[in-house]
Amino acid sequence: MSVDNSSHIPSFVVFQIGKRRVALSQNCVAELIASPVLFSFPHTSPLITGIVLRRGRIVPVMDLGPGLLGEPSPLARFFLVVERQIPNVSERCAIPVQGECELVSGSMLPAAERENFVIGTLDLNEEHIDILDLEKVIAAGATRITDSVPAAEALS
Amino acid sequence: MTQPVSSSLTPRDTRPREQVAVFSIGQYSFVISAAAIQEIRSTDSLGGAVMDLDRPVLRKVRHIVERDSRSYYVVSGYEHFRLPQSRPTTVLILRNAPAAILVDQIEEMAEMRVLLALPHSFVGEERTWYRGLTVLDRRVLPVVNPIGFLSSRELKQLEDQNPGMLQFAAAARHQGGHV
Repeated sequence: MSVDNSSHIPSFVVFQIGKRRVALSQNCVAELIASPVLFSFPHTSPLITGIVLRRGRIVPVMDLGPGLLGEPSPLARFFLVVERQIPNVSERCAIPVQGECELVSGSMLPAAERENFVIGTLDLNEEHIDILDLEKVIAAGATRITDSVPAAEALS
Repeated sequence: MTQPVSSSLTPRDTRPREQVAVFSIGQYSFVISAAAIQEIRSTDSLGGAVMDLDRPVLRKVRHIVERDSRSYYVVSGYEHFRLPQSRPTTVLILRNAPAAILVDQIEEMAEMRVLLALPHSFVGEERTWYRGLTVLDRRVLPVVNPIGFLSSRELKQLEDQNPGMLQFAAAARHQGGHV
């Protein structure tokens, strides 16, 4: 008798930000949306580039570029809606991504990267894809932006 | 007053509605409760009722304006929201705060049917600036918090550095003095 172990293999959503291909656990991904209307208003929260209205909900748009690339990510037509786990509450936010996303199954290998937001890697046809901890990559981007403001002010 | 709800629209909205004014600063539009506004004036009509602060400790507050024996700190809207310099032509004199807000223009008066809570991902000063978000004419707009224009700490700073000036402006104007 054979046992189907496929349901035990974790799934990941692979997507691209700038030139970097990364992955998130499928558990925290809700949907992919194309060309939503983006609204913006003044605020001082790092990484948030606007909001979208999705099924009657306000969904903040967060750019992972500063954390992943060290700079804002390029303009995007697709937005990956993910579930954030903020202390005491979970909340959906939309991440601008380049191109379409891919749902893959595979085992998570130990992370070789030094970046603290990379929790493992995925071997996808010999391409190593970093698997992200969403909250840590958001925190890393926010820290980069916050640190860069005083430096920019000092230079001006 | 419309109470904030979670960040989702309810299918059948039976909450009380709220009259609001929509104003703009630069390229952005904002909503404020009509009940929070004492008076809307053109900046041209204020004339001699404006006096400079002795010590403008806050970048966004440089003047005091007197209206009907009461004085108000004049708050620059674009400075408050950290926006590029705009062309304010209108001043919103608030009812329950000693503040008069410089804005570019009033866009319209409208009826707000829902107030959505600001998502938790927003962690900056906007949590003080806004009561929440609303949807008007298929636009998502921030609903400003009238008492967020000048915090109690900012009011204390202004009063400490310009002691008695708010009261003096009103008294001087009332007695026909030049201000």
